[in-house]
Amino acid sequence: MSNEFAPDGSVPLADDKALDIEDLAKRYPTGVEALRGVSLEVGSGEFFGLLGPNGAGKSTLIHCATGLAQPTGGSIRVFGHDAIDDYAEARQAVGLAPQEPNIDWFLTVEETLDFHGGYFGMPRRDRRERTAELLDTFSLTEKRTERTRTLSGGMKRRLILARAMMHRPRLLILDEPTAGVDVELRLELWHYVQRINQEGTTILLTTHYLEEAEQLCDRIAFIAGGQIVAEGSSEELAARFDVHSLEDAYLSLVGRKELSRSHIEMEPAS
Amino acid sequence: MMSTAGTARIRFTTLWRREVNRFTKIKKQTIGAPLLETFLYISVFGAALGSRVGDLHGFDYVVFVIPGLIMMAFSINSFTNNASSILQQKFQGAIQDQLSSPASPLELLLAFSLGGFMRGLVISVLTFVAASLLVDLPVEHLLVLIPGICLVGFFFSQLGVLTGVRAEQFDDVSFMQTFVLQPLIFLGGVFYSASLLPEPFQTLTHFNPVYYMINLVRYGFLGYTEASIALSMLALFAATAAIFAVNLRLFSTGYKLRA
Repeated sequence: MSNEFAPDGSVPLADDKALDIEDLAKRYPTGVEALRGVSLEVGSGEFFGLLGPNGAGKSTLIHCATGLAQPTGGSIRVFGHDAIDDYAEARQAVGLAPQEPNIDWFLTVEETLDFHGGYFGMPRRDRRERTAELLDTFSLTEKRTERTRTLSGGMKRRLILARAMMHRPRLLILDEPTAGVDVELRLELWHYVQRINQEGTTILLTTHYLEEAEQLCDRIAFIAGGQIVAEGSSEELAARFDVHSLEDAYLSLVGRKELSRSHIEMEPAS
Repeated sequence: MMSTAGTARIRFTTLWRREVNRFTKIKKQTIGAPLLETFLYISVFGAALGSRVGDLHGFDYVVFVIPGLIMMAFSINSFTNNASSILQQKFQGAIQDQLSSPASPLELLLAFSLGGFMRGLVISVLTFVAASLLVDLPVEHLLVLIPGICLVGFFFSQLGVLTGVRAEQFDDVSFMQTFVLQPLIFLGGVFYSASLLPEPFQTLTHFNPVYYMINLVRYGFLGYTEASIALSMLALFAATAAIFAVNLRLFSTGYKLRA
């Protein structure tokens, strides 16, 4: 997988950072502090995993990067563009496949992609070609004239991913893309995102499937209580928590070591 | 590589097309029903009651009522379209696709506003055409009618946007329409001349902003007014500009749109 970090480990230039987050804070009007000083760098071309329990702040961080939430402190830059001050350039570079299906019920499958391309300023001919290409890639061509609300859950998931890719973003954010999808679609998605990552698209993935993160991601960050608590490759994270796998490192993070499969396997049969 | 203005134009027209696409896909509800409603008003108040009322300020009763009905159709449909569209998209989460795009707050606001404006315009024009086939409806002051009715439509489309952004449930939109707009419109003189009301209702009517809107449109069609046209136009322009400024502020800060 491509990674544009310098071989000597030097810090990449601003434009080589797909995401550059410094001391990011988000406090909701209800008083909930969803993010408490998050600092994180995702290099251009990286496949980066963000793991954490429910309510850890993953979706809030993603929403801050895409303009759906407004940070209350710190900064977030996308390929060198400030997500607040240069929001147009920053958002143009990002494609978001959200956790919850948020498709427009009034549109057909084809219109969903076409309108999304228009929202991102793509000319008509480019939209038409790109729509045909993505419908084919995600096996949606036969459904192209159907209203989105009639689609099955798996088809909706495909459409959300196709929509996120429509404007050819340099950074693709996948918020639990394989939650609730069948094995076939999950593997299809893995192959697809691996391919576009190899072609240069940076991927930020949140998932609860740890084997997914382990197999796909170059680097992983653990987030808990609105803070990044550990960061590195899956091997580095396992070593950091003094365990043998990413799953055990995660269980240590959430304080549930007793659930480790290594404990279960070592227990004698009664 | 497209120019910044070129991509902005594509963004805006797509956002606007989405709004028009929505109401044309459910046209029985968004166009058919309001047209039928207006036709029923013309039938009942014009044909059935009108023959008993006779002339009003020198006009057949039905002719006197039609400008108000056209204004009512424009305003209610502009309002309802925008309030419902924004609230529906908030519920579905589909609005996130637009909010996470590079579109500016101004592009988003104008596109949402013009969606409802278009629906109101389509219904008003169809009502005008249908009414013209049934009665002899004059157009005395086109230069007052066009800007006047457009300002009315734009004002109510802005009010719809404001209501949709603030609303948390469909009840909020219904409340605004049923308990605020409809009483103001009905009591603003759509079906009667305020000058014929006894006191204190005549004076009270002058505190109803819709009264001035109806007068503008009626003057445009019939050349008859009970209020100063210049003052009505100025007040309507000021009110529209004020509500537009409020909405632009809401879209810029992300109030109830962005977390």
